[in-house]
Order: sequence, then structure tokens, then C-alpha cells
Amino acid sequence: MKRIEVKLSLSIVAPLLDVIRLLADGLSQKLAAPQELGDVDEDFRDAWLAELITGQTADVKALLALFDEEFFTEGIVAFDEDNAEPIVRACAAVRLRLREVYLRGLGDDTLEGGDVELEDLAEDVRKAFMCYLFLATVQELIIQHLDSSIIES
Amino acid sequence: MIISSVKSSPSTETLSRTELQLGGVWRVVVLNDPVNLMSYVMMIFKKIFGFNETVARRHMLEVHEKGRSVVWSGLRENAEAYVFTLQQWHLTAVLESDETH
Repeated sequence: MKRIEVKLSLSIVAPLLDVIRLLADGLSQKLAAPQELGDVDEDFRDAWLAELITGQTADVKALLALFDEEFFTEGIVAFDEDNAEPIVRACAAVRLRLREVYLRGLGDDTLEGGDVELEDLAEDVRKAFMCYLFLATVQELIIQHLDSSIIES
Repeated sequence: MIISSVKSSPSTETLSRTELQLGGVWRVVVLNDPVNLMSYVMMIFKKIFGFNETVARRHMLEVHEKGRSVVWSGLRENAEAYVFTLQQWHLTAVLESDETH
């Protein structure tokens, strides 16, 4: 099984986990981004949304499971063919939620370009933006090294 | 998956088939968002639709530059399943009736 291990800076990443955990609670009840279901039948719509939230909750749980004892002792997290797919999806969910909750004020162009002066941001927004970048890095790592296992699964 | 549960009822299946025959062609449209990475969107297109690199990139760029891309069209039941799957990956995907058919 293909597996990659990444050593992270504990002092930088550990404080970001508070933000991720805080948003993770909300993601068990609400979709990361609102979805337009058009004229889908009402009963079907409820089942549809419930299943999306169930999947989202499981994905976020897989993301949080990365930060286990090994992470807090060695700073190491491991991605493999089993956890890559839920984690890459969970990163997307949390990033979407970060935008909704903390980063709206930055504007979409800024968010897409990533050209932000961290020193100019309020403390909570700065932390949220660092979290946003961190999760993008996790996604890039997984896509770079494990995309074939995700595409073929 | 959610679509399977609908299929499990014979009466629903019959109704569903009738609706499809009357329903015409439906499009699966992916809308732009400022959050998801281009590489992530391309990977999803390759996984879900079996697109090669070139086609996945073309659709991704169309989403990015024009705000939307029609990634699939066909029977409504299948289109719903694709929209659901894209939404599982947190892309903004909608179902549209293709009125040219």
C-alpha cells in the first residue's frame, strides 16, 4: 500500500487544530457549502441532504484522526490509500466553511490569489487563513502522491 | 448510495422510468467557487467521469473562467446521481433541463 508520511511543525499546526475542531462540530449538522437541488422531490431532497451530511461527518472524522498521539509526539501524519480520499474531501469541506465563517471579508479574488498580508489581519482571521492554506497544502500533497489511488478506487 | 434506495421500490422504479421517458435530457453543470483547488477539481472530474487529463483540464478551466461547465448530459436519474456525487466532493453542482432536446 502506498503511504506517505509528513513531518509537520507542531508549534505551527497544533494551534490551527482548534479552528478545525470548532468548524468540524458544525459540519456534522450543516453542509460545508449550500447546494441547489432545484426541483428534486421534497422527500428525496431530505434523504439527499442527510446522506451528504453523513458522508461529510465521516470525512471530517478521518481528517481529525490524522492528529493522533504520533502527531503530538513526533509531529508526523500519514496518508495512505485508505484515508486519502476522505481526508482530501474533508479538507475541501473545512476550507469552504472557513470561507463562510471567517474569510468572507477578504473577497473571492484575494482568496483565489492567496495574496494576503497576514500582519494586516485580525487574529482570528489570520489563524483561519493559515488553516485554509495548511489544508490546501494537505490536499496538494495527497493529490500529488495519491491521486491515482483515489481516481481508481 | 441514495439513488439505490429509490430503485429498491418497484413502484418508484416504474414511476422513475416513466418520468425519464418524459423528462428529456438533463445536464450536470459545475459552478465556480473561489475555494476548491484546480488540481482537486481536475482529480474529481477524472475520477467521476473518467475524463483524461486534457478533458478534465478543459472543463476545470471552463468552470474557472466562465463560471460554469456542462460536464455531462443524459437521463435525469443518472444526472441526479452525478450531481449527488459531485456534491459529496463539495463541488457546486446543479441539474438543468436541456431544452434543446
